[in-house]
Amino acid sequence: MVGIVLVSHSLELARGLADLTSQVAGTEVRVEPAGGGPGGTLGTNSDSVREAIARADDGQGVVVLADLGSSILTVRHLLEGRPNGHVRLVDAPFVEGAVAAAVMCAAGQGLEDVARAAESARGASKF
Amino acid sequence: MVPASSEATVNLPEGVALHARPAGAFVKTALGFGAKVLVASNGKQADAKSILAVLALGALGGSELRLVADGDDAAAAVDALARCVRNLSE
Repeated sequence: MVGIVLVSHSLELARGLADLTSQVAGTEVRVEPAGGGPGGTLGTNSDSVREAIARADDGQGVVVLADLGSSILTVRHLLEGRPNGHVRLVDAPFVEGAVAAAVMCAAGQGLEDVARAAESARGASKF
Repeated sequence: MVPASSEATVNLPEGVALHARPAGAFVKTALGFGAKVLVASNGKQADAKSILAVLALGALGGSELRLVADGDDAAAAVDALARCVRNLSE
């Protein structure tokens, strides 16, 4: 099953979103939160992202969503060394993209379709 | 060959809105079929394979859902989704 990594400046935010996606999509999906700085401060670091990717990856690929600014840069920098597309940073709204991706993962869809669902979340109306 | 089409109307169980876990279960079921499936509620329509579209329907417990599927496995998709809806719980 494709896995998901959620990268936020706030580990609490990433964890909360992981909980939400699990509630909607089911607990069988690997949704791994990453982020936060030392001692509970806000920030991102590539070590926590690298570890989360390793936890999320069962061989079917990983979709990474990040919140804003430097968390995006952290992920992009990390993935420069992995050009094969097995781990994919998607340009998607954090909450909606994560929920859309998680349901696709749970339904056994492939990396390409999961990434597309996350990115198309940008155009979705809420009501 | 013209793709097969199938439709059904089913009510959400009382007290079970099509949100969070129930919506996820519904969409995961729809994704198991090749047919294109639309779900309509309260004058709005959504792609049954899109969790965000299904959540945006805001379908409340007890309300009516209209399922319309097109494709080779349309009948099976509608049957499975109708069964899924009837069995949803909070």
